[in-house]
Amino acid sequence: MSSEFEISRSITIGQYVPTDSYIHRLDPRVKLLLFVVIVVAIAFNTSYIGNAIGLFLSLYLFWASKIPISYGLSGVKPAIPFIIILALLQLLFQGQLFSGGKVYVDYGFILITSESIRLVVVSAVRFIEIIFLSSVLTLSTSTTQLTHSIQSLLSPLKKINFPVHEISLITTISIRFVPTFAIEMEKMMKAQASRGADFGTGGWWRIIQRTKETFPIIIPLFNIALSRAEDLILAMESRCYTPGGNRSSYSVYKTLAKDYLVLLVGLLFAYLLIFYPFPF
Amino acid sequence: MKKSLTVRDIVIAGVLGAVAILLGVTRLGYIPVPTAAGNATIMHIPAIIGGIMQGPVVGLIVGAIFGISSFLNATVPLFKDPLVAILPRLFIGVAAWLVYVGLRRKNEYFAVCASAFIGTLTNTVLVLTMAVVRHYLTPAVAWTVGITNGIPEAIVGTIVTLAVVLAWKQIGKNKKSKISEDM
Amino acid sequence: MGARPIIQVENLSHTYMKGTPLEHVALKGANLYVEEGECIAIIGHTGSGKSTLIQHFNGLMRPESGKVIIDGVDLSKKKVDVKTLRQKVGLVFQNPEDQIFEKIIGDDIAYGPFKLGLPLKEVRERVKWAMSVVGLDFEQMKDRQTFALSGGQKRKVALAGILALKPKILVLDEPTAGLDPKSRNELLEKIKRLNREEKLTVIFVSHNMEEVAMLADRIYVMAGGKDVLCGTPKEIFTDKEKLQLHHIGTPETVQVLYRLTDLGYKVSVDAFSISEATEEIIKVLHGTKEDLEDVQRV
Repeated sequence: MSSEFEISRSITIGQYVPTDSYIHRLDPRVKLLLFVVIVVAIAFNTSYIGNAIGLFLSLYLFWASKIPISYGLSGVKPAIPFIIILALLQLLFQGQLFSGGKVYVDYGFILITSESIRLVVVSAVRFIEIIFLSSVLTLSTSTTQLTHSIQSLLSPLKKINFPVHEISLITTISIRFVPTFAIEMEKMMKAQASRGADFGTGGWWRIIQRTKETFPIIIPLFNIALSRAEDLILAMESRCYTPGGNRSSYSVYKTLAKDYLVLLVGLLFAYLLIFYPFPF
Repeated sequence: MKKSLTVRDIVIAGVLGAVAILLGVTRLGYIPVPTAAGNATIMHIPAIIGGIMQGPVVGLIVGAIFGISSFLNATVPLFKDPLVAILPRLFIGVAAWLVYVGLRRKNEYFAVCASAFIGTLTNTVLVLTMAVVRHYLTPAVAWTVGITNGIPEAIVGTIVTLAVVLAWKQIGKNKKSKISEDM
Repeated sequence: MGARPIIQVENLSHTYMKGTPLEHVALKGANLYVEEGECIAIIGHTGSGKSTLIQHFNGLMRPESGKVIIDGVDLSKKKVDVKTLRQKVGLVFQNPEDQIFEKIIGDDIAYGPFKLGLPLKEVRERVKWAMSVVGLDFEQMKDRQTFALSGGQKRKVALAGILALKPKILVLDEPTAGLDPKSRNELLEKIKRLNREEKLTVIFVSHNMEEVAMLADRIYVMAGGKDVLCGTPKEIFTDKEKLQLHHIGTPETVQVLYRLTDLGYKVSVDAFSISEATEEIIKVLHGTKEDLEDVQRV
């Protein structure tokens, strides 16, 4: 911790790690689509075997993307205490709801059954799976690729007047401005500290005072953001930008045979996870 | 969605989305006040402001950006579940807009305050409901968290939103400076 | 001289995000020495470490290695009273108008003094003083709304907000960036007055060499995280070789004078203030000093 004010440098959004693996070279639309489908599939699967398959799959994808494992672990590590607390809470208090299966402990209000243990294990494993999957997606796909993919995947919705292009532009603007605002915020925190601001000195029970202490940062943050927005609106309107027009794209993605193959395998996995009656 | 989005809608949604992401990934999004969690979150406020400024669609989009960012950045198992992290957040800005529009005629201040209060409660209530539905929390725990965390959070959310909206809309009573008069 | 050192920086280094893939060395072995009452300019290209250096002066950053001593306080010690330090060293960031968050001018300027826990009367006096120094009328302006101000006025308010802390040392990061020429000159005059009349030690970062030539007693040139050159404006701007080596610009007056020497005229290149340079140029045009006096009479 070299400085209490370093925030802009520690933001890792859109942290693309170019290792040129085959995961990196996949059509980003296939990647995004599979990510969404598999995450949903994992969210619905409650069997041990299903989640073991999911865990294996997510670890395999991480390995295949050639990204140093430390990136994935850095997402899991800070979560370990939460996983443990959640596990304990679920184990102690969810037994009544999951009273099926064998009863191991029945003591007062504490009821531990094979079903409640399943709940605990599955939620922890599911969490690790999703961490690894989302790391693979964000570390192997640039933000430009992601926003293009969102637009491309949503484009069938244009038929029902869903503003696909607009949504993708909004996403681009958001991602574009995060680092800018982070730098502004860091400067603001330093500037206010320079004139004597200190955060978190008011009595801890005094909600209003505590909240007001953040005004020197929060109000300029929104002011800067909204005035940047005004500038951008002016710039876009003066170049005659009209939402909803038909636009061609500078980069066009080609879906190759291997992309289709990966898509097929991925969808199969998702189908299995959701519909296959795993025995255990 | 009949009415298409204007340039203003797009840019404001994008910029507020960026603020929501930023508040989510730094500790700026938490205000340390006495709640069960030890913090009140203000990360959802961009969605409320989006709803107040530009209507329900922008509010919904900013909420979605907030939700997806909180899902991707979550270090708590609860929020690594898209049904808890994303779905409830879609309604924050919409609820805020409904309240704001309903009350605006009567009093602008009151409308902003009520809208922020309800918007924040929408977040708390829906997230906790989903947490119970998805078996992360028992109803009893959810109720406790809801009351000990939800109320202070709604107060904090109201104060911050009001300050931001007043500063941006450049309205306010013509008060005098604190140092205007001698004691 | 009898002047005592108020800022001493010795062999200061700083690395951002040490031990991560994003590691970035901002300072490596920088030195700086400022006497009480001096006006110092720090120049150098983007990324030369200027901003990182000045953030050490009020304890926003702590020395990673090396020494920073501010008015007798060693910042490499573990326990430093940063609050007192930040009151003593007023740091004005680039585009300081962004930091105005109160709705009313008087309240925003009073924010710092209130944070110091001063009584209302004292705060009021300080705000009054700070506003008069930057050229804002206290009675007229104190209750005005901040958003209605022009860019130049906002910057004055922000500067007053720092001055109300009554610092001994004023540090400014590109104080005139983005201002129109009129506000720029006004602000420079204010800074000059603060240094000469209110006896503040002033350190400022600038890319504008006219500004540097006009204000600074001494100049530090930064490059690659180090101080590579130091001296009076005369010493720096007349050292053509070093200027080219470090790609430092010069005031336009110096450029004209250099051009004249290149063409074979005898002018002294160290006469870079506008009035001195005018004299030199008129000398070339008329040949003698007597003619100059005629011109001045007319």
